[in-house]
This record gives sequence, C-alpha cells and structure tokens, in this order.
Amino acid sequence: MIKKEIVWIKIEAKSYYNILTKLSELGITIYDNKKNDDGILIKTSLKDYERIKKYLVSYKTEIVTSSGLLKIKELMQKYIVFFLSSILSIVILFLINSVIFKIDIKSPNKKIQNILEKELASNGLKTLTLKKSHSQIEEIVNTILDNNKDTLEWLEIKYDGLIMNVYVTEKTIPKEEESYDKCNIISRTDAKITSLNLYRGVALKEINDYVTKGEVIITGEITHNEEVKNTVCASGEVYGEVWYKVKVTVPYNEYYSKYTGKKRFNISVKIGDDEYDIFKSRIKNKRVKKTILYKLNDFAINFVEEKEYEESVRKLSEKEAYNKALKLAEDKVKLKLRENEAILYKKVLKKEVNDSTIYVEVFIVTKENIGEVSQILGGSENDSKPNNENNQ
Amino acid sequence: MNNLHFKDSFKNFLFDLDNFITIYDDTLHVFNFTKLNKLSDTEIVLRINNKVVYINGENLKIKQMTKQELLIKGKLEKVEFNYD
Repeated sequence: MIKKEIVWIKIEAKSYYNILTKLSELGITIYDNKKNDDGILIKTSLKDYERIKKYLVSYKTEIVTSSGLLKIKELMQKYIVFFLSSILSIVILFLINSVIFKIDIKSPNKKIQNILEKELASNGLKTLTLKKSHSQIEEIVNTILDNNKDTLEWLEIKYDGLIMNVYVTEKTIPKEEESYDKCNIISRTDAKITSLNLYRGVALKEINDYVTKGEVIITGEITHNEEVKNTVCASGEVYGEVWYKVKVTVPYNEYYSKYTGKKRFNISVKIGDDEYDIFKSRIKNKRVKKTILYKLNDFAINFVEEKEYEESVRKLSEKEAYNKALKLAEDKVKLKLRENEAILYKKVLKKEVNDSTIYVEVFIVTKENIGEVSQILGGSENDSKPNNENNQ
Repeated sequence: MNNLHFKDSFKNFLFDLDNFITIYDDTLHVFNFTKLNKLSDTEIVLRINNKVVYINGENLKIKQMTKQELLIKGKLEKVEFNYD
C-alpha cells in the first residue's frame, strides 16, 4: 500500500476560525492544525492542498514539511549527490567484493602449488576474476580431486574477503610396518599375553607369560643349535592384558553454563588487531558468534550475535559424583585404546569422601595389542627401539 | 422481518446515514455533520440534517476535520440542539 502523501501547509491568515470554516466548506480533511504568529499550520493531504490552493486564492499558502513519498522525493532532490554517490559506492563495493584479488594456496610443496594453480585456472579461478558460488566451488573441488587422485587427499576453497584461500592435504602413502628387512616384535608395555598369532619368526613367549616393556615376544632371528642361521622381519599379532591404576578426583559442585534465551545483535569493526563494537553491549556473560560482512586486508566489518549465558552450579550427590569419577577413569583409559582393544575388568581400590570432593582409585584391566615392530639394527635383540606410550 | 430493519441497516451501512455526537472530558466528536455554520473560540454551530447543534465552551478548536467528521477540543460547557 502506498502511503498517502501528507503535508504540513502554512496558510498566511489571521483568523483561525475563518480559515477552518472555509476549509470545512471545501470538505478538506485536516489531520492536525496549529496556530502561530505567521499563520495557521494545517496537516492535510497533498490532494487537499491542491484544492486549497485552487479555491483560497486570496491567501498565501506553502508546504512547510511533508511525509510519505513526497518527503522521500524532497529528500532525494535535496541530497541527490549523496544518494547517487552512496548507491555508486555500494555498487563498487559489491563489485570489488565479488572479485578474487589473490589466490593463496596453503601448501609448502611447490609441485602441489603448481598443480593447483593450473587446475584452478582451467576451472576459471584466477586472480581478478569473479568469485564462484558455493555450489560451483564444490564442483570444482570435486573435479580437481578426481583429476589428482594420486597426489591430493583433501581440498577446500574458502573466501576470506578478497583473498581466496586454498587449503590442501597431500596424499601420503603410509610406511608399512613390515618394511624392515630384519625386525622383532617387542612388547610396548608390561602385560600378560592372552593371545599370540605368529606369522613369521620365532615366538619367545607363550600365552599367559608376563612380559615387560621392550621385551622381545617374536624374534626375527632363526637359530639352530644356538647359532643364528637367518634373520627375517618377525610378524605376528600379540594381545595381552594391560593394567592401569587411575586416580580421579571429582568435586561435588558441578559448574555449567545455561543459555538464558536473551540474544542481542551488534556490528563490530575490526582494524588490525583492534575491534570496536558499534553499539554498547549490555550482555555481560556472553558467547559471541561473528559473521564477516565485509573484509579488506586488515579491515573487517562483522555481524555479531551475542547470547547470554548464566553460570549455574549443581550439587552432585555422593552416588552421582562416584559414578562420574568411575566414568572419567574409564574414559581416561579408553582414550589410549585402539581398534579391537577393550576394557576387560575394573575394580575400585580406594574411595575417599571429602567435604567438597570424592577421590577414587580404580584398577582397570584392558585387552590391547601389545606387539610393536622393532628393527634389528646390528644383529643383537637389544638394539630394538620400543615406543613409550604406556602410562601405568 | 420488519423488526430487523434490514433495509435501513443495509442503507446505513452503505451510505453512513446515522449521525452521533460523542462527548469526552475536553473533546467532542461529531460524526456525519452536514455543515459547519459558525466557528469561534467560544461557540461552534453545526448543522446535522434537520437540527442545529450549538456547542459552547472556552478555547474551542478544531483538532481534526474530514467531510463528515469533526473533532473539537477545548473546555466544553454546553451542547444544545434546535430542530427546524
């Protein structure tokens, strides 16, 4: 709906009541009126103003202020240069923002850089060309990855203002464990062997044997009559029981943040390392999410969404704190486990209930692949290089 | 059917034939007036169909006005009707 063009007009007349009577006779709609020293101010429609001008010819009338479309028209006429330059600036800004000024390939490998530069150029992504849409970028990424299956593992293209960042991961062929000519399988931790599958070499240990960290389980040295006849790279799968003693302290007071539902929006301007909020932020304990609206080198304008969170405290019961401690202990051990490894057994060794905390010591037994390939450097078994990952 | 005044109601709905005056503390609203006869700060005289309405008071001013409606502001003292 188009807003009616409303104007405040001034009628130079002395008698307020005379003018109002005449306007009534003309059927003029008056939304408001005031009387001052110069005359009478009438708020009416532009259409009625035309009628007043036509019929009240003996009075001097003029528009004082207007609203609606007329107001916009007047403002446009008054600030035409400002409006045009603003529109032009926005258009230029939009155009500049749509152009790629620099392509930054995030890889130290020159070969990869060259490959990507060529691939991007063949897909229309060069400096001083227009940016592509998200779907087009996705398509280009897939094409490049298809064309370079042997060299590229992962590729992502992101715009950062006028710069197009290309994040890439090269394909690396993992070194095979059995690439050594001569090797032993050693224990990477203290354990009790529960299963042993021998593929190559000679087993020095049996199921239910206890081994210490670095001890050889399968040797690559084939001996006959205590004489080394041949040395191979030992191969096999050794699982064992590994023991952990985990100490956990859990406080009864559990602190957590809760979203209050209060949300505020702001605009921030970033110049270099300094950032300034346009509006004063009234939220104290907040989490902020920023979206870049515009970025040019060190200058950026961000749209800021601020969410208010309140810190709350929940008092755990002794049972809840105890269960939490057990879970934390388990999680601590689980972090070290790999595929096909699991927790077999757990037992609480010690439980101390204090005023504000609960202390628990848990003994945990796991089933783990304890075998580790260790190269035979000289010819002696003692030259093995075990890993130091186990924390008992 | 006659009791429902259907015809009159419909005519009134279409052509706004009813007229009324609403009086507030310092405001008087007139709907469907015919003519503004006299206007001064102490007296306003209006014609509504076959009756003349005299509104007396102090500092009487017309706040808003359309072809049919009037909103009068001021200290109201008396509203009087005279039939032709």
